[in-house]
Amino acid sequence: MRVLTFGWDFPPSRNGGLGVACFGLTRELSREGVEVIFVLPKRQEVIGGHRFVFAENAKNVSVREVGSFLQPYNAAKSEVHYIESYDPVGKPIFKSRTIIAEAHRFAHLASLIAQEENFDIIHAHDWTSFLAGVAAKAVSGKPLILHVHATSFDQAAGANVDPGIFKIECESFAEADKIVTVSQFTKNILVSRHGVDAEKVEVIHNGCDPNEPPKHEFALAAHKSQGKKIVLYHGRITIQKGVDYFIKAARRVVDTDPNVVFVISGWGDMSTQIINQVGESGLSANVIFAGALWEEERDRMYQSADLLVMPSVSEPFGLVPLEALQHGTASLITYQSGVGEVLSHVLKVDFWDVDEMANKILSALRYPVLRRQIVIEGKHELHKMTWKEAAKKVCALYRNLLQYITT
Amino acid sequence: MLSICPYFHVHQPFRIKKYRVFDIGNDNEYFNDNSETDLNNRRIIEKVANKSYRPTNKILQDLLDQHPDFRFALSFSGTVLDQFEAYTPDVLESFQRLVSSGRVEILADTYHHSLAFFYSVPEFEKQVKKHQKRIEQLFGQTPKVFRNTELSYRNDLAKWCEDNGYLGIMAEGWEKYLGWRSPNFLYHPPSCSKIKVLLKNYKLSDDVAFRFGNQAWESWPLSAETYASWIHSHHGDAETINLFMDYETFGEHQWEDTGIFNFLRALPDLLTSRNDTTFKTPSETIKSYSSVGEIDVPDILTWADTDRDLTAWTGNDIQRDAIKIIYELEPKVIQTRNKDLIETWRKLQTSDHFYYMCTKWSADGDVHAYFSPYQSPYDAYIAFMNAVSDLQLRVSHSLEVQKKRTAERALKKARVTEKLPEKLPEIFPEIVPEVPVLALETFSQKPISWIMRGINRLRSLIVWGSENKFISSFYAKKNIDDKKVSRQKRAKKSSKKS
Repeated sequence: MRVLTFGWDFPPSRNGGLGVACFGLTRELSREGVEVIFVLPKRQEVIGGHRFVFAENAKNVSVREVGSFLQPYNAAKSEVHYIESYDPVGKPIFKSRTIIAEAHRFAHLASLIAQEENFDIIHAHDWTSFLAGVAAKAVSGKPLILHVHATSFDQAAGANVDPGIFKIECESFAEADKIVTVSQFTKNILVSRHGVDAEKVEVIHNGCDPNEPPKHEFALAAHKSQGKKIVLYHGRITIQKGVDYFIKAARRVVDTDPNVVFVISGWGDMSTQIINQVGESGLSANVIFAGALWEEERDRMYQSADLLVMPSVSEPFGLVPLEALQHGTASLITYQSGVGEVLSHVLKVDFWDVDEMANKILSALRYPVLRRQIVIEGKHELHKMTWKEAAKKVCALYRNLLQYITT
Repeated sequence: MLSICPYFHVHQPFRIKKYRVFDIGNDNEYFNDNSETDLNNRRIIEKVANKSYRPTNKILQDLLDQHPDFRFALSFSGTVLDQFEAYTPDVLESFQRLVSSGRVEILADTYHHSLAFFYSVPEFEKQVKKHQKRIEQLFGQTPKVFRNTELSYRNDLAKWCEDNGYLGIMAEGWEKYLGWRSPNFLYHPPSCSKIKVLLKNYKLSDDVAFRFGNQAWESWPLSAETYASWIHSHHGDAETINLFMDYETFGEHQWEDTGIFNFLRALPDLLTSRNDTTFKTPSETIKSYSSVGEIDVPDILTWADTDRDLTAWTGNDIQRDAIKIIYELEPKVIQTRNKDLIETWRKLQTSDHFYYMCTKWSADGDVHAYFSPYQSPYDAYIAFMNAVSDLQLRVSHSLEVQKKRTAERALKKARVTEKLPEKLPEIFPEIVPEVPVLALETFSQKPISWIMRGINRLRSLIVWGSENKFISSFYAKKNIDDKKVSRQKRAKKSSKKS
């Protein structure tokens, strides 16, 4: 079985959970015996032994130095700037396009690739490659699976949904043969907001790697030696992630226990606003902005933290609590997170309930037995939700779909 | 001859509200939730009263009226009786009417539905005594047969019951301890001579309590006729069929639409249709039959889950932590002699609090989720621990106040016993005329200073004529007072040191 997969993020690029999910799933799919051709919009460094196709390198496609500028997680109207060419003097000529225009360009390149490649099924990850998937289906007539990692409703935290993205989603969903969501939570959004038939949507939860990661030395050792408790946020700083609620809760926590340090690892379009908010609420001494931490630095922070908080307003899945658990750290997540459907050893709160969020943070810090229990039992649970399990379900879906097509 | 011994357990805990860290030290009420959730104790009592207590009591009353042979036993936790009294007094009255028939036996229990026997026997004894008093006051009966919380049982508990004059004790008829033997006879514990053990026929009991409404069960739907025939089939190889279950089976665990009420209504008639089948209360059962053998239960046996042990209450770290903290508090709480604190502490011992923290999400997980008013076991733990933290504060505060009071009392005693010398030394005061220290006067202050000077001159004139008795005696007295005060201070210091 050969699958033409469209994505726009793959490790070791450091953008977010989508790349991690694509990598985990693709790795296990190939172990299941599926041949994956992974199409990425532009050349980048990649890990793993799959066959990658970069749209910019495809034959018969006239691309200059750079192909597509799809950047993950940007708003539809935000513009990407690139150097189109150089003028006679050698000065670069800048041009800009919107993300939606980029998605269309990617779709165009995809249709050319689809003509060249030989495959049985098309699998497209996230909205920026939906159009590519649809285009590939149009030229090849092969069945199309759309894998929804986030919707426009998640990214806008429910309000002011980008009509451009919403339109792409709706049109692509109509073209798809099957839609995969990463949680029931997201499936519900698709059914209620996009009007997709529930029969068409399959829930396949993300997974994790349950092997024991290497132990690192503590980050923030000085703070720890002073007996300070560390509460970690790790993720992009955008409206979807609810960092503003987190800061409000932090204020409430520090009022009760000034010995708590909040570490914010990540960056995003709300960074400035959050930094201002921290200043305004007089929390500068208790909040540390660590920038976006990745790999070893991130792992060290996971291991040093006493509690991880994922305050998302709308989280299709949320890999962060699973990663934290691997490193032995308990999590507090919101009821508005898909990961809560499969991870029961976790503290939960409504994102808007700042008081309760603060209460649970304080309680978790007060009672170490609680955190220990969550980690011990949570690790057992991790073994049941591996990428292997997810890949098996995807595989079954492929087979099901192909059988349906051939008969 | 086959007798049937039905026994229903009535219990509701005081559920802890969403008690937050911020409430510690600010809010002394842990059980007064008034939301629309299942943490609202009044709401639960009213709901279960409508679904279960009221309709079931009506049926039981009719059955008692119609069948002169119908008998059964009830056990109440003190916490449910308190809540009936506060929220639904009519339910309590209907229970009292049932008992007044003389054919309903009430069993002994712990007042707070606690596992105290396994953690503190003195505390357990206090709770049993309190329960007995309450039962005598409400129902005019002194319990003779003991059942422990969650039907938990161990050899030493049976021994305790025998030593305290109970005729019998109830336990689960579990194969691990029974082996090939049948639960449908009486047994006796090792090293006991008088007390008998009534064993629950868990198969027949759980057919009603757990499986009755389960559509996936092969015997669903279970008719009263079938069930009666199952019981009748034991003729010849059994003396007593002990059907022990939660009272709330009727209407609350098994909803009305499962047909549970009609089942209950029809059953006694069908069972007694054979002349050699009767109903007996536990006491009557114990009097009628003798023990057929010894049952040795060295480890804790309960009626819960597939493990039949305490793991539903003490299976994980948070449960063990919570239970440890509550019993560690015992000496201090008792020492306060503060009724309110002791009662609150006991309400926190109710086994349900620990049950809600259970994380066995395996085969029994569904049962646990159904019975928990919290969204997760961790929420239950947080509310419990925060409430206990507040209680700890109150206890140590109360002890401090107590300490202060005893210190004061000791001081008072010391003062009374300390004798003053009979003759006070005479003190002649040195009289120092006051010399006012004046800052540089402004012009407007001048007249005032003149007047003051005049007054002082006058006063010194009077003093000078110190034959004036009033003034000299005034000064003498003041001096004596001063000395007294300093002596008292010394006495205080020495008492503190001692």
